[in-house]
Amino acid sequence: MSNLSIDLNHVGAKGALAEEAEGKWGMVIDQDLCTGCQACVAACAMENNLPFVMEEDAAYGRTLHWIRIERFWEGEYPEVRTTPYQPMLCQQCGSAPCEPVCPVFASVHSQAQELNLQVYNRCIGTRYCANNCPYQVRTFNWRDYAIEPFHANDFEGQLVYPLHNQFNPDVTVRRRGVMEKCTFCIQRIHKAEDKAKSEGRDVEDGEFTTACAQACPTNAITFGLLDNPESLVNQLTKHQEHGYHHLEELNTQPRITYLKEG
Amino acid sequence: MAVTSGYLGSEKAHAEHHEEEHDPRESLMYDPLPRGVMNDMVMESMHTTSWKFWVVLGILAFLVATCFFYAWGYMIAKGLGVAGVMRPAYWGVFLVNTVFWIGISHAGTFISAILRVFKAEFRRPFTRAAELMTTFGLIQAGASIFMHLGRVWLAYWMFPIPNERQLWPNFHSPLMWDLLAITTYVLGSTMYLFLPLIPDLAMARDRSTGWRKTFYRILALGFRGTEGEWRHLTTAMNIFAFAIIPVMFSVHTIVSWDFAMAMRPGWSSTVFGPYFVLGALHSGMGAVAIVLVIMRATMKHMDYFIRKEHFDALGKLMMIVSFAYAYFFFNDYIVQWYGGDKWTDTLLHWLEEGPMAWMFYQMVAFNIVIPFLTLWNKRIRTTPWLLALIGLLINVGMYWERYIIVPVTLSINRMPFTWRLYEPRIEIFLTIGTFSMFLLFYMIASRLIPLIPVWEVQEGQMVHTLRKVGKAQVPTVSEFE
Amino acid sequence: MSDTTLMALFEDIDPASEAIDKLHEMGVTDDRMNVISGVPVTHKMLGRPHPWTNVSRIALGGAVAGFFVGLFLNFGTPLLYNVSVGGQYITPIPPGLIIVFEMTMLFALLATFLGVFLDSFFPNYRPMEYVPEISDGKIGLFFKVPQDDQQKFADVMNEMGAESVQPTEARQL
Repeated sequence: MSNLSIDLNHVGAKGALAEEAEGKWGMVIDQDLCTGCQACVAACAMENNLPFVMEEDAAYGRTLHWIRIERFWEGEYPEVRTTPYQPMLCQQCGSAPCEPVCPVFASVHSQAQELNLQVYNRCIGTRYCANNCPYQVRTFNWRDYAIEPFHANDFEGQLVYPLHNQFNPDVTVRRRGVMEKCTFCIQRIHKAEDKAKSEGRDVEDGEFTTACAQACPTNAITFGLLDNPESLVNQLTKHQEHGYHHLEELNTQPRITYLKEG
Repeated sequence: MAVTSGYLGSEKAHAEHHEEEHDPRESLMYDPLPRGVMNDMVMESMHTTSWKFWVVLGILAFLVATCFFYAWGYMIAKGLGVAGVMRPAYWGVFLVNTVFWIGISHAGTFISAILRVFKAEFRRPFTRAAELMTTFGLIQAGASIFMHLGRVWLAYWMFPIPNERQLWPNFHSPLMWDLLAITTYVLGSTMYLFLPLIPDLAMARDRSTGWRKTFYRILALGFRGTEGEWRHLTTAMNIFAFAIIPVMFSVHTIVSWDFAMAMRPGWSSTVFGPYFVLGALHSGMGAVAIVLVIMRATMKHMDYFIRKEHFDALGKLMMIVSFAYAYFFFNDYIVQWYGGDKWTDTLLHWLEEGPMAWMFYQMVAFNIVIPFLTLWNKRIRTTPWLLALIGLLINVGMYWERYIIVPVTLSINRMPFTWRLYEPRIEIFLTIGTFSMFLLFYMIASRLIPLIPVWEVQEGQMVHTLRKVGKAQVPTVSEFE
Repeated sequence: MSDTTLMALFEDIDPASEAIDKLHEMGVTDDRMNVISGVPVTHKMLGRPHPWTNVSRIALGGAVAGFFVGLFLNFGTPLLYNVSVGGQYITPIPPGLIIVFEMTMLFALLATFLGVFLDSFFPNYRPMEYVPEISDGKIGLFFKVPQDDQQKFADVMNEMGAESVQPTEARQL
């Protein structure tokens, strides 16, 4: 598939990207509403077939969570306070630092969805993308966690994995040696777009949402179309003064706006 | 270093320094032996093996079988979870080893190429020993980089060959530049090792029997020494010597760009290119000193070829390189220290006061302080075991330097929630495996390949004469090109 | 009248070069002579014609080939299969310089190495005229003379200081 007409506004000289920094799919996370309940973490794990890595590996920094809730403490004892909880997930950067460094094009930019894609089949596990991600949101399959005997029940001499019954059929299960990260539930995006296309219309705002946004009990996470001026995400992003991007100085053009101290 | 106290500024030392007249006939180049005798010595050094050789060889072979092949196979089967890499240190000892072995390999090219271009005659006896280090070191570097891949069985996807998916690798990635540069360097230095080896293989062919003769006959390619053959060979060697120097500089610069292109505090430094190249030369020169001392001590007749003047010259090179290394290290350090960038500041504080601070200070001590304090002294330079010890300390210091640059620096990033200290696990065994394999290859090569380029030594002895100027016998070097 | 090849073995360069002069005087032309030595001795020292070599030309050809390969890899392959990454230009120039440099050097070095093989007809395992003393540092002067004059030439060479003069035969190296 050769595409000789390249829209420089989507991919090209770095200056040209500034106009399109808006992007298509985006998120707003309201840290004032977040209670740190980690429902989003659980929902994401269920939706995307994330295996459990067990205690030892989890303690050593090998959790496979695509979204994590960061907690920090402020102040000296006895005046210690928590800071607002900080859900951190892949920011789907417009100018993603993880993309140019993959030697085999496993981490590429989708021109259609304007997301950062991770191609599991292509990844050979150099882990340069993970090093280069300033948000440290990329995870690696250090072992074949999904088929670790620890997760299995021994039934008449055979290993039976009950957790495999809850796998989402729309998402693959990754083998060891492959990087992965939040995809903005691209399987749900595709499903909604397919349905809308077959009905001859555009995707409506609120028609579907990501697993984390769906599970959040306080609606702290809002997902939607950033370039549609009537979408909720657009309104929240554009019309809130207390919105900010993480590590803005790095010019990665993240698609997630955080709201804090509103 | 109690040895230095007797030499630093004592009157006896000064007096001896003034008295001692270096007799040029102590030098290898002014102490010629007939070529036939030198050939005999080299052949004998290859044939003579004591029981100690076989014991060490056996131990190394065992280590290679277990710590290299078995451990690597185990890691491939179980996944990288058995290693110590995690978030945020996704790169660990494997990359440290890669950079370390490429560093060792640079010394070989420096000695055989740069010294040849500058016509430094003292290089003659040990160019091949150094060049062998390059080839074997690069093999270990390649092994280490393959070890660190998550799906190593698909590594061929990095090679730019047309395929049915019509996919090409990503040339934006510094890892691809790495692949091309290291491939160029491996092939280039192996060819550069082989070309001057051909006449010595011909000599070995003429003086061997049995399986050795067949081995040398095949490798010598039918070389006789005709005018045409010499002309083609020397032209090619000249082209290689000049061409492989920019390749050598570019290889380690490109390896450094694996780190410099990443946006991590402590990594995104513009001085990494020359810093790494000088660091490579620093550790490589130290390794050459170690190898030469071992050669001299364990192989027959090597004390005729490798003499004090070679250690003296090597020591001076080590000193100059350590100056240059210190310059680039300080450049990198002071810019980070002065800058005030929050994350770099945190990183520097952590390096100096954190759990790995001992490694940081040892690194500075071994890489900079010890060479500065010792290598200016000629007596230390010309004491082989002392130079080897300094070389060993430099190599330890350089290994710590790479350890600090890769996993330790990765522990601090812009997301404090992820900060965590790296612990090497199976990497320790695999590192032992790579070192054992390097030594194993070298030991086998020392008995199969003539380690001294005898024809170059004879050529050198032909161009060196003692000329009478006034009352003195002046050592004179002529040009035979 | 058939020719034989005689070989005169000399210890040092001076007698060898004088012997070559003498052979010139006696009517043996340069193309009927061959000098084999254990270290490279320049043609000027021996009084021989300038030896040709194609190695540098082959090396240059290799460099040019490598240059185009590098250009193709960096500037051609992204146009063949366009994958967009991280806001960088699709055919970036700075990495292109690196790729072009490395490929130029790689092919230049490979071509140089190949050039030695081609020019010297390596590997050559056929029986060739050679004596092992040459790798001991001696200089062997091979020259073709009519069979009948063998003895005359042998005497002259011995006068000039040859260690030994004998007819050669092609032998398995």
